[in-house]
Amino acid sequence: MTGRATFGDFLQAAHHGLGAAGPPPGRGDVEEVSRSLLRVVTILGRYVQDMNTALTDMPSRTCLPLGTWDRARLQAREALTSSAGYLIQSAGRRTWPAAPSASPLARRLDDVATSMATGRDLLHTHFAPGPQGGRAHRSQWALTVTCEQVNRALLAEIGSLAQQAAHHGANVALSPVPGAPTNADRRRRLNAACQWLWVLSASVQTARRAEPVPAADRDLLAAIPVNALPPRPLLAGADTIPGLCNGVITTAERLRHLAWQSTQQPPGSPRLTVTSLRQAAETTTVTSHNCAILAAALATRTSHGAFPATSADLTAAAQAARQASGTWYQIARALRQVTTDTRGYVSPAAAEAHGLALWTGRLAYADPTWTLASGPTHPARPPQDLAPRPEDVPQVVAAVHHVCEALTLLTETEHGQLHAAAGAGRILVPTRTLPGDYDIPRPYGPAPPERTAPLLARYRDASQASRQATALTGRAAQATSAPSRALTTARTATQTTRPASPDTGRDQGAPGGQEQTHDTPGPLLHTLLRLGVTSPGLLARGADLDQASQRLLIDAASELPPTRKRPPAATLNTTAGSAALLNHALASGNPRATQLLRQPGQAERKAGREPEPEPEP
Amino acid sequence: MKRLTAAGDRFHHARDLAPVLDAACDAFEEILSVIGEYEDTTGSVDVPLLLAATQAANGRDAVLFAPSLPARRLHQPEQVGELERPSAADITAAVAALSLLLSCGLAHTAGTVAAAADRAACQDGARHARAVHDLLTGGGP
Repeated sequence: MTGRATFGDFLQAAHHGLGAAGPPPGRGDVEEVSRSLLRVVTILGRYVQDMNTALTDMPSRTCLPLGTWDRARLQAREALTSSAGYLIQSAGRRTWPAAPSASPLARRLDDVATSMATGRDLLHTHFAPGPQGGRAHRSQWALTVTCEQVNRALLAEIGSLAQQAAHHGANVALSPVPGAPTNADRRRRLNAACQWLWVLSASVQTARRAEPVPAADRDLLAAIPVNALPPRPLLAGADTIPGLCNGVITTAERLRHLAWQSTQQPPGSPRLTVTSLRQAAETTTVTSHNCAILAAALATRTSHGAFPATSADLTAAAQAARQASGTWYQIARALRQVTTDTRGYVSPAAAEAHGLALWTGRLAYADPTWTLASGPTHPARPPQDLAPRPEDVPQVVAAVHHVCEALTLLTETEHGQLHAAAGAGRILVPTRTLPGDYDIPRPYGPAPPERTAPLLARYRDASQASRQATALTGRAAQATSAPSRALTTARTATQTTRPASPDTGRDQGAPGGQEQTHDTPGPLLHTLLRLGVTSPGLLARGADLDQASQRLLIDAASELPPTRKRPPAATLNTTAGSAALLNHALASGNPRATQLLRQPGQAERKAGREPEPEPEP
Repeated sequence: MKRLTAAGDRFHHARDLAPVLDAACDAFEEILSVIGEYEDTTGSVDVPLLLAATQAANGRDAVLFAPSLPARRLHQPEQVGELERPSAADITAAVAALSLLLSCGLAHTAGTVAAAADRAACQDGARHARAVHDLLTGGGP
């Protein structure tokens, strides 16, 4: 919407590389594919490491017993470490800089690694090194990146990517090229690495079955933008409703970004001025009023048609916005009675607040030349003009929703700044406006509490009204499937800990928009297909036999002998036939099958003691 | 409205820097007071007056921190007599006229002042007074 890159862009590119662009070739140079797959495994391992870092950001969780998803995270880390271990041996000597891959599959895997590495860089733009170690938040989105819901959605995506990569890698491992060197050891190791990726996928699928990942959480993950100020939209060129909506949304995003940044300045900063506070107050009065007009128009527009149920929410949102406007008006008036020790500087957030008032006014009023000084007597844009067709409603709802979110954050940050300034003794009053019993021999003096306390109380009232307007427009956004509904998910995810239960939402299909491949051809069916067999009866018998062998292996996994009597997992891949059977069992996603590879108790090891996949040189 | 006229007269007749700054500060305060009283009596937001009041407060602050502004006001405000109930149009006209006077007077004073801080205060005050005038006469943002 704002033209900023989002995490979803890179996630989609990774899924595209592994299947959406057509199946990658099943053959390739084993050493090269192993090297490229190692790159993918390494970057996935770093994602999982980041999740553990996010967990340590939440001290209250450390005493809780491991949940389903906590176990999945540990098992994912274990699987990636094991997979990397095999790939390091299989990838051969590595050079720096790495030579470009020649085989198409290796190139696809390199693209996936690049996409996922860039996506991780995008997520990291929301953090900075903390003053005492750890990570400091650099944006409002940082809370979203570290929240449990988003981490689950991310792990689900990693499981999906691992599953696809395993499928392609195992195809290469089990399909020797006639005339080429056999590289039997390398093939076995590549196959074992892929088997661990299936283990990862199975762990994630187990967690998803127990506690599904709602589609809204995946949408939220995909919607996380890069932490950068969007370019300022040009008002001159915006003369259509979609153009105005885009301008409103982009300006609201800019305001959120700048308001968050303003919280980083210390209370003594000379950039904290009454000039900024006044401009933010007067323009927010106008913007909230404009929001009330827009919400009321949308309520009228939706009262009969595609979204009748949202009309009541929008009417209530209009009332809340009107109340916020009234409170901001009182703040603007109260700010005339005080001043600060520095003046004149207008903060970027206050300047953007002025822009938002102008953009929302152009959308709310029929006059295309409306300005702040035009006053409220101008006729509002008729509801039918605001959203001529039912499908036009969501974009206007999204615009109002973005504005409410931005104003809520601005209210909170302005309140915080004023509170800090008052605490630092920086709020002053002209002494000539004080009663005669104040004998201060200067034109100005410190503001008495009877001036600052009501002002701070009004900021609290405005904050409450803004939050209410945001919640109500958020409900309208959900009901109309407006593109801004990820904002509501983010607010919910970062403000509350949703009870983890299957009832919280349905896991609608696999991440990346692809269905899980539980029914990949088994080794016998695969062989029949390669022989060119087309008889439905024969193919059905082959599939049945494959399924039976798969079930047998999974059942056998539950009755494995003690570890010391069991051959190492790698030796199971000694023959192509046994490797193919094992692959088929692991690809089923059945968690019991993972016992074929895992040593007893292996999954319960503590995360901190496990080695990370070896990084690229 | 008489208060605005009185404030304008006092500013008009002020000659030295300290009386000019004192009269300008009082004039900005009177603008704020008149607009505030109007806002107390009306139920809706008058956006042009809201924006004008913000600029008036900024102008008041500009001269408030001028080094040559007397520590205590030179004139006590006159007692408000009969309560006036001017219309928004009356207020707009009167405030626009006073702000134009302040803008011109402070800009002129800025050209005669040697001390940089006082000069800057007069220039800023003139700029904000001009903004008040422009907002109320259709030349605002």
